Amino acid sequence: MYGGGNIFEPLDKSNIKDEDPVKLAEFEARIERGEKIEPTDWMPQLYRKQLIRMIEQHAHSEIIGALPEGTWITRAPGFKRKLALMAKVQDEVGHAQLLYSAAETLGKSREQMINDLINGKSKYSNIFNYPAYTWADCSFISWLVDAGAIVNQVANSKGSYGPYCRALERICIEESFHLKYGHHCVIHLATGTPTQQKMMQEAINRWWPPMMHFFGPPDKISVHTEVLMKWKVKMATNDECRQQFLDMYVPKIWELGLTVPDPIINKNQETGKWDFSEPDWEEFKRVINGDGPCNKERLAVRRMAEERGKWVRDALRNSEEQYVTPLA
Amino acid sequence: MGTGCFKKFRRTVCYTPGIVSMEESLDPRVNRLPGTGEWKQEYEKHSLDQFPTFEVFVQAKEDKPFQHEGIVHAPDSNFAFLFAKEQYSRRYSCSGMWVVNTQNVLVSDYTENSQNIYDTLDLDPEKGPLMPYEVFHLMRRGKQHKHVGRVEASGKNHALMEAKVKFDSDKPVMNTWVVKSSDIFQTQNEHKTIWDTLPLKQFREATDYRGGEKIREFKAKQKE
Amino acid sequence: MVEKAIIDLLYKLADDLLILGHRNSEWTGLGPLLEEDIAFSSMAQDKIGQSLEFYKILHQAGESDPDTLAFLRNADLFHNCQFVELPNAEYDFSLIRHFLFDMAEIIRFEMLSNSSIEIIAQAASKFKGEIKYHVMHAESWIQQLGSATEDSINRLQKSLDYALPYALGIFEESKYEEVLINEKVFGGEKALKEQWEPRIREILETTSLVLPNFENLIPVYGGRYGDHTEHLQLLVDEMSEVFKVDPKADW
Repeated sequence: MYGGGNIFEPLDKSNIKDEDPVKLAEFEARIERGEKIEPTDWMPQLYRKQLIRMIEQHAHSEIIGALPEGTWITRAPGFKRKLALMAKVQDEVGHAQLLYSAAETLGKSREQMINDLINGKSKYSNIFNYPAYTWADCSFISWLVDAGAIVNQVANSKGSYGPYCRALERICIEESFHLKYGHHCVIHLATGTPTQQKMMQEAINRWWPPMMHFFGPPDKISVHTEVLMKWKVKMATNDECRQQFLDMYVPKIWELGLTVPDPIINKNQETGKWDFSEPDWEEFKRVINGDGPCNKERLAVRRMAEERGKWVRDALRNSEEQYVTPLA
Repeated sequence: MGTGCFKKFRRTVCYTPGIVSMEESLDPRVNRLPGTGEWKQEYEKHSLDQFPTFEVFVQAKEDKPFQHEGIVHAPDSNFAFLFAKEQYSRRYSCSGMWVVNTQNVLVSDYTENSQNIYDTLDLDPEKGPLMPYEVFHLMRRGKQHKHVGRVEASGKNHALMEAKVKFDSDKPVMNTWVVKSSDIFQTQNEHKTIWDTLPLKQFREATDYRGGEKIREFKAKQKE
Repeated sequence: MVEKAIIDLLYKLADDLLILGHRNSEWTGLGPLLEEDIAFSSMAQDKIGQSLEFYKILHQAGESDPDTLAFLRNADLFHNCQFVELPNAEYDFSLIRHFLFDMAEIIRFEMLSNSSIEIIAQAASKFKGEIKYHVMHAESWIQQLGSATEDSINRLQKSLDYALPYALGIFEESKYEEVLINEKVFGGEKALKEQWEPRIREILETTSLVLPNFENLIPVYGGRYGDHTEHLQLLVDEMSEVFKVDPKADW
């Protein structure tokens, strides 16, 4: 799961002009025809750079995303939930592996990517900088954060870069399990005892604002992404994704007798779009730049995991081996 | 609206620079992690810290061709297989798996516009003893390479030319991989049992989580 | 009498697998390499799934349902060996435990697949593919790390020395040992240990690790009789934290 297609930094477009115009035209024609770009194809520097950044951030989001739900792995109530949550968090680690692999085909090594994550040079989805206080918070993440991720992932799986699309296809299939499992958890809490209902409603109240940040700033204040959309790197705008999410899931939240903590949220019958209170984009900026409740902890845990495992990797490393870019 | 919900619970992870203690995490596992002492400010991995990569081919069912699925990072092919088994076959079905170091996958050129690679393939075969090579075809951009069979050859070029003789047909092949058979770690018959219980892992499937009934009951109760 | 013996055996099987599966699941997301993280988590899920199978058999035999057995018993009612409840420490200990325990488990399942109790024989046979993979995985790690560098060998040796007395606690005999053997329900802990020792020795001899003389080791017993370290109550409390918010609720 992940929140993005967000490019968190402004685009550096200056070097498109330096690209071979014939090759660029062929490249763009291929994309126009709906064909996939594969690792050995010629591609503009900007395409390569942006894709690496995007896929890498997606991968980081998965491995960091394993942490909030991982908080509840040892405490899942009952065998069914225990097995399911173990499988789900494992899938997140698996998705990180698939995505790092896709990014590697573009020429950046996994070592470099993990370095950048731990050193705070690469970003990951903001929503994972918030704490999972209760089992209900964990269930919210499993259902609605994954639902948000699926909206992005389904869109991006129709993008232009072959390895990323193949990774996303695998991921989308597994996400359908995540979504149904998460919804199952929330249904049980919302239709359960008064204690369970309260736990769930409070979790929704906490998580709704970060969820509204999930798809990134509104198009009108977003970084310009026209070239990325032309190259099918970004497949849908932030607003489009957010609207799709609201349309699919707010009714599902309401049908469980739960409320969304936004006094004006409603589907506007005239425009066909959802009206909602404007989220606090200053908070989004602050958290993405390191000042969220859990940023320090997430990176510290990731760093600690790498440090603890270093002796294992050092022991089995064969210094005569060579690294080769993966094929597909 | 909203942000106050997290504000009042704002904590800082208590750490003195360089030494991290995780006593305040919500995750009890994290609270049990030991501190790892002084850390360098900038984290830097050795260039082979994550090991080399191995391409993974999965045979979903008997008599189906092995298909390329992705890579694993591993110290050797034995570990590559152990890792690939869980990364690429913890769902659905599997009756066999091949892993090969990426370096040992020999790649032909790619063609454009539905051209067949074999139409323009004209390589000088190497000389020397014949060895078996496995051949994989990519038929379309966006798809995965599939195993088509085996040839005897003295090197990469020879293997590709032999593949042209043996496997060329009217369907255009976009790209060919050849791999020396001895470079591939292949699971054997005795390994098949490790996938026996895959059908029992329903807890990993969406179908195990039907919530419709509960929603209907709830709605009915609300109407009362 | 046979019934009591079988119930006792089933609790031992289920509790070992649940507690070890739980401990191993603590590594999910925190492992030394992404691929290994994924593999270790799968094996933890396998173990929990295996424990569930045995709890279901217990339930059929008249004991409470699996969730109640797993989430509402106090530590002193658990029959796992102390070995599996010990905290994870570092990866060397977890790998050593994985190796020592799973080698015993594969033999135990082999023996149980010939049990005179049909339902137990079926369950043990069903899991033989899973445990085969677990043992392949454990052996690979021990053989590699046990011969790799001074650091990896030292770490594994320390963990092995620490773990062995606890590992011997796997073979603590039940008070129904004779009944189980006579009724051909299970060939007994002594027979199991006799097969286990040469198999772990065989693997360790390919490494630089030293297996001490078992005569000099004092096995850590007590787990099979509800006598546990302080770690188990903490584990059980954590595991049941949410469930106990309302054990009657549908989670």
